[in-house]
Amino acid sequence: MQYSEEGKDRRITQLRKGILELAVMGALYDQRHYGYSLVRALSENGSISLKEGTIYPILARLDRDGLVRSGWVESDQGPPRKYYALTSSGRQLFDELSHEFDLLVSLVQHKWKAAEQPEEAGKKLLVRKA
Amino acid sequence: MNNYPDVVSKLADDYLRRVKLQLGQLPAPEQIEFLREIESHLYDAYQQMPGEDEVTRMLAVLRNFGEPIEVVQDRLPGAMLRSGTKRYLPLYIVGGIVIALFGIPLGFGGMAVLAGILITLAAMVAVFYAIGGIVFLTGALFMLLGFARTYAPAFWDRMVTLGFIRLDGPVGDFLDQLPAPEQGLIMIVIAALIVVGGLGMLWAGRYLIRGLRFLFSLAFDRVRQFAQRIRRNTHPDKARPLVAVMPAMARK
Repeated sequence: MQYSEEGKDRRITQLRKGILELAVMGALYDQRHYGYSLVRALSENGSISLKEGTIYPILARLDRDGLVRSGWVESDQGPPRKYYALTSSGRQLFDELSHEFDLLVSLVQHKWKAAEQPEEAGKKLLVRKA
Repeated sequence: MNNYPDVVSKLADDYLRRVKLQLGQLPAPEQIEFLREIESHLYDAYQQMPGEDEVTRMLAVLRNFGEPIEVVQDRLPGAMLRSGTKRYLPLYIVGGIVIALFGIPLGFGGMAVLAGILITLAAMVAVFYAIGGIVFLTGALFMLLGFARTYAPAFWDRMVTLGFIRLDGPVGDFLDQLPAPEQGLIMIVIAALIVVGGLGMLWAGRYLIRGLRFLFSLAFDRVRQFAQRIRRNTHPDKARPLVAVMPAMARK
């Protein structure tokens, strides 16, 4: 049976959203950014192709949880920009999450085929008789 | 300060308006903060977007940014929860009960009173204009009779004979002592005064309407100010300044 494109897209979006928060924290680990510069930094260093606007709810969540500090800075070239930087607790959390993420990546990339059970054993479970 | 061309500015404003519509559940300060941030992003992205045509550039920026619903959907649930917890919830519950018990009946009563006042004032204006019109028409008719008395005495006498015109009492006695042309002149002068009075009433009517409009706007302003004062007292956080520039973060 073939998977649906819609289902695939939905899952990819979910996957990206989950990872994006971690990526945002990583980008803000050593450097402060405003929204647009953060999007540029993420798109230059990876291939996460989410809509740019989705970055702001993430930043707002991080801000609310005290993981980033933020402040408006006047700009000579246009409207003021809101800069974000990771707080010390944000850095600490990022280190832990990053470690968890590494574990998950290694789990996903594990060579599962080598550990697969014989096909016959699986088939037996599916046969049911009245 | 944005330096967009007009048409691009309209595109950006329209987009921000659509985002704002989606942010209905968010507390007002967060809405403003969020919109300012998006505005700043759009400006930077527009400046960096390559291309000759300004409209195409802004459309590309908005496309990259995402539909308003996509941008705000992750933001709403938390805000909706906060809107129920951060504010003075007991006050809201009490307010809800008070409104349910008294506000709705009083609201209907208030509406009826307001409608009654409006209808009464409208009727007063209509009556005022009607009286002005009647006075004017009476004066005009009286003037016609004055001219008839002066220039067509035969027609006047016939009207008196047929009973269409009767001038009794002291006015009639007084006019009977004068010759016909003078009677006509006096009638024309009096009629002219009545016509001027009628026209004056019609002219003054617009000032009456202006005065009433002023009274209504004054009353509505007072009501609005009262509502704002209550709102400020119930939501003190809304008076907080939104722009908190952090000089420590500014790297020049």
